[in-house]
Formats: sequence, structure tokens, C-alpha cells
Amino acid sequence: MRYNKGLKLFSSFAALLCSGVLLNSCIATAPVKTSATTAQPNTVEKVEPSINSTVHYTPKQAESTKPPFLFPNPGPFELVEKDGVEYWQARGEVGKFGGSLKLGSFGGGPKTFNAWDASDVESHGIGMLQFDSLVDFDPWTGKAIPKLAKSYKVSADGRTIDFVMRNGLKWSDGHPLTVDDVVFTYATLIGDGFGETSSRDTISTPGDYPKVVKVDEDTVSFRFKKPFSPFLANLNATMVAPKHIIEPITKRSKAEFHNFWNINADPKTFVGSGPMIVERYVAGQRLEFKRNPNYSFIDKEGRQLPYLDKMVIGIVPDQNTMIIKFLGDEIDLLDNRSVRGIDAALLKQRELSGNFTMYNLGPDDGTMFLMFNLCQRKDPKTGKPYVDPIKQAWFNNEKFRWAISHSVDRKRIINNVQKGVGYPLSTNETEASLYLNKDLKPIEYDPALAAKLLAETGFVKKGDELFDAKGNRVEFDLITNSGNTGRDACCITIKEELKKLGIKVNYQPIEFNTMTNRVHTSLDWQAIVMGLSGSRFEPYGGANVWKSDGRMHMFDTRLPDKNGLVKAPDARPWEKEIDKLLDTAAGTMDEKTRIDCYNRFQKIAYDEQPFIYIYTNMVLTAAHNKLGNYKPSPYGIYYTPKGTLHNIEEIYIKGAKH
Amino acid sequence: MSTPVYIFKRILQALPLLFLISLMAFTMLKLSPIDPLAAMRANPSVSQAAIQAEEERLGLNKPAPVQYAIWLTSTLQGNLGVSTTGGSVAVRLMQHAGNTLLLNIVTLFFTWLIALPAGVYAAVHRGKFLDKLFGLITAIGMSMPTFLLAFLFLMFALATHWLPIGGMTSSDFAERDTLSQILDIAYHLIIPVCVLTFVSLAGIQRQVRSNLLDVLRADYVRSARAKGLSEEVVIYKHALRNAINPLITLLGFEFAGLLSGAALTEMVLAYPGLGRLTLEGVLTKDMNLVMASIMLGAVMLITGNLVADLLLKFTDPRITVE
Repeated sequence: MRYNKGLKLFSSFAALLCSGVLLNSCIATAPVKTSATTAQPNTVEKVEPSINSTVHYTPKQAESTKPPFLFPNPGPFELVEKDGVEYWQARGEVGKFGGSLKLGSFGGGPKTFNAWDASDVESHGIGMLQFDSLVDFDPWTGKAIPKLAKSYKVSADGRTIDFVMRNGLKWSDGHPLTVDDVVFTYATLIGDGFGETSSRDTISTPGDYPKVVKVDEDTVSFRFKKPFSPFLANLNATMVAPKHIIEPITKRSKAEFHNFWNINADPKTFVGSGPMIVERYVAGQRLEFKRNPNYSFIDKEGRQLPYLDKMVIGIVPDQNTMIIKFLGDEIDLLDNRSVRGIDAALLKQRELSGNFTMYNLGPDDGTMFLMFNLCQRKDPKTGKPYVDPIKQAWFNNEKFRWAISHSVDRKRIINNVQKGVGYPLSTNETEASLYLNKDLKPIEYDPALAAKLLAETGFVKKGDELFDAKGNRVEFDLITNSGNTGRDACCITIKEELKKLGIKVNYQPIEFNTMTNRVHTSLDWQAIVMGLSGSRFEPYGGANVWKSDGRMHMFDTRLPDKNGLVKAPDARPWEKEIDKLLDTAAGTMDEKTRIDCYNRFQKIAYDEQPFIYIYTNMVLTAAHNKLGNYKPSPYGIYYTPKGTLHNIEEIYIKGAKH
Repeated sequence: MSTPVYIFKRILQALPLLFLISLMAFTMLKLSPIDPLAAMRANPSVSQAAIQAEEERLGLNKPAPVQYAIWLTSTLQGNLGVSTTGGSVAVRLMQHAGNTLLLNIVTLFFTWLIALPAGVYAAVHRGKFLDKLFGLITAIGMSMPTFLLAFLFLMFALATHWLPIGGMTSSDFAERDTLSQILDIAYHLIIPVCVLTFVSLAGIQRQVRSNLLDVLRADYVRSARAKGLSEEVVIYKHALRNAINPLITLLGFEFAGLLSGAALTEMVLAYPGLGRLTLEGVLTKDMNLVMASIMLGAVMLITGNLVADLLLKFTDPRITVE
């Protein structure tokens, strides 16, 4: 759940030049490898070629209400007992042991190996490979399924959740993994606020952190005062910690915990419960994982997984270089968010000769939107309003926002900017979400209606220029983060469209960290195009954005006071209603009430248009055909580097030598 | 004045300079409207309390002069602080400094190895075909953006499979024996060294050529030729020795650049150098990291100048360090 930060540097130029001109011409002349591996049996090719064979935007796909599943649901996991250990049995084909999976990671590398102190996507994704949680998402249904647990049960009043642990679990160092580890993790580590304290807020509401009780040797119970339904959906992001290793650290100080397992730590001390454990970190170059010999999964022949010996994640700071590395076989998989619209067509051409397959997993849960600064308050330091009162009046006029929304040509932006790799978006939940309100109609591109709406609310067009009722020329500043070609082109398209209405848009791309400073701290902005990632399973994940006192209530940020508290006495009636709806939905386990609340919430967000949604990305991955059991699924997507490798334990390299 | 005293004096002079550089760099960084915790702030699942805890830990909630004082005292005590992206600054600089040093030394070696003879040849055979060809090649090297050149090399690597596509070592580097490891690094250095050599070749080749041309017009060269000395002796013994002085100053600057990375090349070629680290630090306002990197650059520049001056003294008896 982060900004889709996109490319940082000079990529606009490099990307256009490279992907467009150089790559095309150079690759076209490159010798096409005639490889023997194409002849090998390949399960991937059998599956739904109709969806898989095109990455281009087609209306049919965009209007489908269900994310595309490329592989049939293999049914629930089976629990198999062997030598006193309860294993989950992998559901894919029987593979080969050995080999190394090579991935690339875009960016500067992880910030920490302490999974409970991670505040960035990559460190968290690494934590998800090294550690399992009590529950996980079923990649085909999106429902919470037991992982370290054998089963779980929610009490009738929704306040108590009991987890029964599997027998015979072990940490990678051989130490038993028991209920005590779970109690330590949730009562002490997270409960007492060690490391990144936000994880507390994702699994509970302030003032109602659950009591974590060891019921017996196999059972642990989480007891809330009031039901909190997002608990199960968010629990998979907080992993169970090894008590025997971490307890001594928590006896010292919180500052010391921050340094524990930091990026300079010796990987020999790492202990985990996940399929892969970090073995070596070469700063700025790569991260190497080795298989966890005690991982609690077996294949259909009863052999302990994972198949892979190693996993190597190369750190590649430039996205174009990453694509070239993939084409040059130095990377086996381009995961979610490594394939941009401009790359997709190019990769598609090379699919056969390059002996890889592209996978289209449908719409992303993230959103790209245009928003106006609705703030009507004054800066207490200077006494001046944050936003010019003349502009405040326009931005706070919902007909003005609807007029803008109708003049955004979403389909054109997707075709021209995203090269067809995206879906038009009009709602705060995307089609990837289990809770999308399907009654909300897509907002059509309609400049005539936009002009009519503006005229109705007192705006007058004189010649090519639009004026408000008091005679002020309508113009505003639009910013986005620089270096992101997609957003840049999107802003230019919007600027052109609004010019037709007589609105002057002063567009300027600025550095990402500068933009964040303006949105969250100085509040010195008028209009912004940016992105936010969402959640497929739980709209409450957006509470920080949508609640009027939320820290990320960006369209009208209320700054925290000296004590870090945010108060919203001036919240608009619809903001208050959203606050209430979100709280009601989170405070009940009754699915019908939840659906009603979330539908109403989306309807308000749609009617008020504080965020003018533009598009959501298409989730694309590309994998070399030598990967066996690679079965990406829309509900099995994690933070990278785990990414679409929800079944990493059963992924194998065809032809690997053990 | 003896040489050690001279060195001591130069170091004393450098201290206020370093202080001013640090003050200016710190002020400029602080004034930039960049939010160092942007990534955290932009993450809806991060709470206000977590952000405040991070500000407290990194000292970001204190007034700027206090932050500078803290930075200065801890740096003087040899503690470079922690980076906002995790880990201690000293360790992170060390990890990347070696890589940059290796790349720059090899580049420097090849640049001078090619530029010196090429410059001499061009000067001696002025206006001939090879001189013009060198002129053309160096003009391309000077005007071509480095990242574009790097991309071209990557395309070449992809098309031929002769060279690795970026990086510094292969993924199985740790399992190899020492000889194989050295060869692996050398193999990976080919593209970055080619790129950087090609780019820096121009400056030095042209400098050598023009210096030598100046000297070749001098009276003592005419005298030497008039004496009937062979052309080799005239050029290599009389002319070249006199043309070398400005090159030594240039070498001093090159020394200063040993630890300054070529950020764009490093980004494109995924080379784990200092330039990339510093650039990422600037973009995210990683104060401790950027300050340490700037100060390292300043120290290297001052040292480079000093070394060049001392070398001049040794090569040219006319120069004294008064």
C-alpha cells in the first residue's frame, strides 16, 4: 500500500530512446536463440491462451467483473502428517530439486532484514519470504487460509479468534516453532511497540489491541473488546517471530531492536520459518537466499520443499537495464511492476524467440488519480490560507470537480500513455477488489457535459478563456513526480483537455520527495496527479486516506498538533459519513453489513469526486519457460521480491541439476 | 621551506575550507524542499506515531543549526551517523568506495595508456589522417551522453552474448574460486571501463596534443633540431618533458575524481558505486550520507591538488614550494 513511485531518473528520455528506438532495432538484429527448451513439455502454454495471448487493452477485458485467472483453482491445501510433523501439501506438479531462481529488484536494495522494523516494500517483501504468518490468502479465492496455523475459528460474537497450530513445526535452525512464538510476537513484539509500530494499527483499532492468550499447547487466542474484521485480512503482513532469538533483544531497548538484523547484519544469524532464508547480501549488487531445510511443505511425493536450492535477487537501479537483463537471460522473471506499458508491446514481440511467457493478471489494486486541494483552513503560523480563496471556491464545488472528471479522456490516456496496458477507473476500489461497488457507472469522456456543468454553476467562457462568476480567470497549478513518463504524459493530456474548456493548467513535474513534502507537510499545492496502491481484500486499508482525521487524507490534509493528534472538527458531512461507514464495516464480522457499508462508501466517494480516478495498471509479469509451477494469480500478489511467487516452495527450474 | 612543512601548511589552509564546504552543503541540503521520510509518509499503512519515532531517531525534529552541530561533533569524533535507508553511513560508503575506486583506477590507467601516445602522435603528425581521426573520435566521446553510450554497450552485450549485461559480479560469484572471481570482475568491468574511458579520453588526448604542439613551436626545439638531433630525441627528450607540467595538474584532478562516481553510468550499468549511492541519497535527502560523500569528495580534491603540486616540484626543478 504505497505510492506507485515509478521511475526516478531520466527515464523519460532513456526509456523513450531505448525501448522505442534502440531496443527495437538492436534486438531485431540480435541472433534468435534456437533453444531446445521450447520443445520441452510446458504446462503454461495449455492454459487459457485467449487471455494470455494479448496484453493490449480491449474493452471486453476492462468490462469483465472478475479478475482473470490464468490457472484453474487447485482446491484447498491438504494437511499431511509425516514423522509427527504436519505439512501442507503443495498443489502443483511434481518438480525437480536444485537450481537457482534469478530475479531482479528495481531500486536501491533493502533497508533492513528485520521484518518487524520494515517500512519499505522491499524489506517487507523479503520478510515475507523468510517468515510465514499464521494465515495467508488463498491465491484463487482471496480468503484467509491457515498457514503456520492448522485452522482458525472466529467466535460467534466476532471478538475472539482462535488459531490451532500445526504440530512439529521448526525454525530454520531446528528450534521448535510453537504457540509461545506466536504469543511472544503479538503480545510483546508488536503489542509493546517494537520496531515499525504501524503494524499494530493494521491489525487493531487504537485502544483495542487484542489480548493474546495461550489456551493450550496447540491453541492461541486473540481476544478483542469489539470485533475488528480487517484483522484476518491484515494478519498475513505481520509474521511470527522466533522467540528464542528475538526475546533477548526485546529485553533491552527499542533502539537496539532497530539495529537488530539491520542491513549490515551477518546473515549466518538469520533464522526464519519461510521457504527461503537470506544467505548473503552484497551491498548494491545482489541478495542471495538459500532454501530453508525445515520448511513445512511437501510435494505430492512427500518430499520436503522448496525445490529451489537458491534464489538470487540482483539489484538493478534502472528499469530499462532490468528488461535488457531479462531478455539476455540474466533474470528469469520480470515480476509485477517491472513491466511498464511501453515495455509490454516490445516484450510481446520477443515472447517466442526469447522463450518466455507473459502473464496478464488483470487490473491492479492501485489507483492513479487527479486531486484538488480542498483545504479551506489558514496556516496558523502565517495567518494566510493554504489555498488561494478564489481557487478554494472552485475546488470545493463538486460540479467543478465533476466537470473536470468528465473532461478526462481515460481511454485515450490508457491507449496513448499506457500503450493499452491499463483499465479506465472511476471508483476508489478497482476491479481487482473483492468489494467493488458494481452499480457505479464508468465516468464517460464528455466535454459538452463538462462545459454544461461549469455553465450551470456560474462559470462563463469568454472566447478561449473560462472565468468564474466573479470574473476571475480559471487557472491552477498541476504537479506530479518527475521521471515517471506515464504520469507526465497523463498530465499533459489533462492540460490539453482542460484548455478546451478554457481552463489554464500550469503543469510542472517535481521530484517525488518534494511532492510528498507539499502534499503532507507544507500543503502548498493546488492539483496533483499521483497514485496510491490499494488492497484487493479489505477497503478498510484505505482508512488512513479516507477518514477525515487520517494521516493521508490528502485532498484535505489536517496537520497533527503538537502531540501528533489530528482533529477534524470542520469535516464535511460526507467526510463524516465515510468515517462512520468505515468504522461500522470494520467493527462487524457480518459480511452483508460490511458489503452495504463499503458500497455506500464508494457511492459517496464517487458522488463527491475528491479523487478524480483515471486508471489502474494492468498487472503483467513475464517468466522464462524454464520455470516450472509458476502459476501467478490475481489474489496471490505480495510485495516484491515475493511478488507473484505465492507458491515459491514448489517453483522449480526445468532441467536443474541437483 | 622543506616539503613536510609545506604539506603541513597546506593541510592547515584546507581546514577552514572544509568547514565552509560542509556549512554550505548542509545549508543547501536543508533548504531543499525534499521530505526525507517521503516513502514512509506516502504509505497509508504507516501511522503518525511511527513517523514521529523515525524523526526522533534521525534527529529530524531538531532545529537545523542544532542538527549541524550534532553532525559536526559526531563527524569530528569519527562517527558518520546512520543513513535514512538503513545501516551506518561509514559502512555503506566503504562498501561502495572500493568498487568505485577499482573502476576509476582501471579507467584512469586505460585512459592515459591510450591518450598519451595518441596525443603525442596527433601532435607530431598534425593535420594527417590519424590526427583527424583521433579528433573525430574524441569529439564523439565528448559530446555523447554517457548513459546513452552505456545503453549502446548493453544492447551490444544483449545482441552478442559476449559480455554481461551490467552488474559487477555474476550471481554465483560467492561459490567461485579466487582466480575465477578476479576474472569475473574483470569480465564485468569491460563495459563500464570502455564507457568511462571513451568519455574521458577526449580531454586528455587533446590536452597532450595541444601542449606538445605549443612546445614544438618553442625556440629550444628549433635549436635542438638545428643541432641535428634526431627527431625522436627532440620530441621525447626535449619537447615531451616540457609539455608534461599541465598534465600533472590534470592528473591531480583525476586523483580527486577517483572516489567520485559516475552516477548515470552506474545507474544504467547497475554498477554498485559511490555515484549511484550519493545520487539516491540526494534525491531522498539522506543528510548524513550526502554530507559524508561531499566531504569525501572535498578531501580528495584538496589532496589531489596537493599531490599534483608536489609532483610538479619533483618533475620540474624550476618549481619550488615557497
